[in-house]
Parts: sequence; structure tokens; C-alpha cells
Amino acid sequence: MHDIDDIERRGIPAVMIASAPFEDAAQTQADALGLDISRVFVPHPVQDRTDDEMHEMADLVFNKVLDTLTR
Amino acid sequence: MTNERVLLDPTSESTPMERNLSERPETMNGLTVGLLDISKGRGDIFLNRLEEKLSDIGIKTLRFKKPTFTKPAPVDLRQEIATKCDAVIEALAD
Amino acid sequence: MFERSWTDGLPVVPPTTERVRKMLEGTTRSPDEIIVSVPPNLIECTVEKIAINAVMAGCKPDYLPVVISALETICTEEFNMHGVLATTMSVGPIFVVNGPITRDIGMNSGINVLGHGNRANSTIGRAVQLVIHNVGGGGPGGIDRSTLGHMGKQGFCFSENELSSPWSSLAESRGYNSSQNVVTAFTGEGPRLVMDQKSRTPESLIRTLAEHLISSVSSRVVVGMDAMLVLSPEHASRFHEAGWSKDRFLEEIAEIMMIDTDNIIAGSGGIEEGLPTEMKGMSLPKFKPNGLLLVQAGGPAGLFSAIIGGWLNGPSGSEPVSKEISA
Repeated sequence: MHDIDDIERRGIPAVMIASAPFEDAAQTQADALGLDISRVFVPHPVQDRTDDEMHEMADLVFNKVLDTLTR
Repeated sequence: MTNERVLLDPTSESTPMERNLSERPETMNGLTVGLLDISKGRGDIFLNRLEEKLSDIGIKTLRFKKPTFTKPAPVDLRQEIATKCDAVIEALAD
Repeated sequence: MFERSWTDGLPVVPPTTERVRKMLEGTTRSPDEIIVSVPPNLIECTVEKIAINAVMAGCKPDYLPVVISALETICTEEFNMHGVLATTMSVGPIFVVNGPITRDIGMNSGINVLGHGNRANSTIGRAVQLVIHNVGGGGPGGIDRSTLGHMGKQGFCFSENELSSPWSSLAESRGYNSSQNVVTAFTGEGPRLVMDQKSRTPESLIRTLAEHLISSVSSRVVVGMDAMLVLSPEHASRFHEAGWSKDRFLEEIAEIMMIDTDNIIAGSGGIEEGLPTEMKGMSLPKFKPNGLLLVQAGGPAGLFSAIIGGWLNGPSGSEPVSKEISA
């Protein structure tokens, strides 16, 4: 989140993608940074997924990710 | 003993200045998107797919990888990303 | 104070002006001196803020220098406290104190050393955790994502029984001398008992210790995570009496803990967790060089020691950090 914050400070639109259980942590960190960082969440867990399952996950959030970067 | 009732604040007593997000473009057409891999397992597979889908719709991509997910990216890397990209996607924290 | 989210769930001592003033008498440093930037929010922290939290934790003024130095150890790039907070693994900062100050302030290195009952042990680590919580903004459920946590995250600090052992202390093995007061921070889990009541020779006992250490965190993790071994006086005496040096102990245990990777490849033994197949046919050490920290402590009776499993080591994770304590 510090990366996104820094990149946003440089005027570049940025979005972070994390797994669902991190929604609270992301909110806390966003509050602490004073920037409502764009974020998109994928289903948990991630580490035990096959490549195909990872691709499906990417497909699932692709449009949402683009939406956060455009007006 | 009235001063026994005065408690000193153990917190940072600082509230961050609220800022707005950078201005978003109308569309991503013709822009370059940086894909920042945080170096956590499976993130590369996920970003490969996003990269594929971005290039399918004609958006240029550049790949970056920070040394470790447990720390913020080095300042040089953030600088490089900011000079080369018009937007950034960071993944994948779990 | 609990409702203001100022505490760790246990009652705290109200930080009145008078108590904080007394606490500040424990150090020669100026109350407005900035000591560290506290993660995760990297907030600059003054001596006074540390003193307020030390009052709340129940510290006496003469513990304050230890609390300050303990904070200095963890608010470093190498220790990576932000990463330690954010990980889902069940780890927290653990502090080992060496030197004359441990006797001066009455720290416990004996019976129940890793447990409760001693004011200095119980409150120094707690004060540090309160600073992380109150000043740094790193509390459970927010930035702290630990799946399980452990009771030591309430504050985990103890001293080494350095006077009754012929071996060098943890601080000495990290380059300090015995007259220096030193605090060492290590990222670890809760302690686990190792029982061996039968071994009478060092050759036998070291095998028991190695066998248990191999399973630290996971028997399928090698090199990447450290551990701390807390050797009890009775276990330690098996080595001392046989004339073993600390170096010999560490060399021999490292040799026993060379792992044949074929046994821990993913899929071996019907277990999907493990090393990637490319790593077959190798022999790897359980711990990297200096990855096993040895501390001698505990009560005089009992043929038990304890293992404290670590977290990711190296630049991606957390490295142990020592600092000399200054008044």
C-alpha cells in the first residue's frame, strides 16, 4: 500500500489487488495514509491454486481493475 | 490531587492529511500500464493473465518486480515505474 | 482507556502527568528527543511517548532504557517490524536482555523464565508492543494479520542466565562483551518444550534437540527460517560437564540437521507441501549459518529445553538485531 501511495503521490493512477481477507487491513492502512487507495479483491486462498484457477481469478476482476484506473 | 486525573495521550496524536486520488484518464487507450509483482507466490501467474488481457485490447504493458512483498519497493524502482508508466497495477497480496 | 483503543486488552496503569514525569527520570535523554520512526505508520516517536506507554504497561522508571533500546532494535530495516506485523504467521518480537542491567532491574532468567511473574520481564516487552499499537498504529485486525498469534505478543522479554554458564552469552556471540548491556530482538512464535529426561551424554542429547529443531515451523522448511533454542541449566550441564564448547555444540548440531531434500520434496510421503521437484537430491542445512540462536535460561531443575520457531530470515524477512542499552 505504501508503494501505491507513493506512485499516486507522483500523479500516476494505481490500483492494488489483494485477496479478500485483507480488506480490513487495506482499510486501516488507507485510513492511516489518508488516501482512499483503489483496491480490488480476489477470493482467498491464493497459494494452493492451479494456473487455470489463477487465470480465472484474473478474468474475474479484469474489468473492475480497469474501472479503478479510468474515469 | 486533581492532576491525578489528567491522562497523557499515548498515541501519535496525528491524523493524516486526506488526499485525493490522482486524476484518472477517460480511457486507457494508447497508455502504458505498469504491472508490479510484489514477489509473493502465484502473483506472476495472475499478472501474466492480466498482461495478456491488456494487450488483447491494445494496451501496452511493462513488468516490474519488487524484491520482497514484506517491504515497500525500493525508491529507485518506484521512480522508474513513475517515469515509464501512465498507470500501475500491483498484485498479488494474500 | 480500553474504549479509546489504548490498551492490549488487559488493564493498564493510567498515564498521569506525575507518573510519566517519574518514568522519565529513568533516562538521561530529553523527553522530546525523537528515538525512532515507529512502524507501520512510521511515526516519529519521542522519549515522552515511550514513557507514557511504559507507565501504562506497568514498567518501573529503571526499565525505561531497556524499553527504548528494544524499540531501537525493531524499528530498523533489518528487523522489518512492519512485515512482522503484517504476516499471517504467528510471530512477534521477542527480546533477550544481557548484561549487568538485568541484575540491577531484577529480570528473571530462572524458574518460569519464558512465563509470567516477574515485573521487568512482563512489562518491558508489553511497553514496546503498546508503542507499536498506540504510536505506530499496528494493532490486531488492522495491520496485524496473524492467523493465530501467540500469548507472547502481549510482550515477550527475558534475560539470559549468563553468570552460571562457561559458555558465551547471546550478546557475546553477537560481538559484545559481558560488561555491556545489550538487548537482542528476534521474531518468533510461542515457545515449545523439548523433553529429554534420559540422555546422560552430550552425543545423545544433541540428537534429541536436533530432531525437534528440524520440525521448527515445518519439517519441510529449510534454510529460510531461523529458530531460538533456550537451553535449560540441566540440559546445558550435559554439554558443559563433558567439556563441549558452544562452538562445538553449534557445529555438531548443524551437522546433524543436514536435510536430505528427497524427503521433503512436494508430494513425498503423500504430503503436497514441500520443496519444488528441482531441488531433489540435495543436502541442505535446516538453518542458515548463525540461524540458530542459543540462549541459556530456565530453572535449576528439569530436563527440558524450549524451541522458539522464527519467521522468514534475510532481506525479505526479519533478521535478529542487537543494540547496546544506553542510559
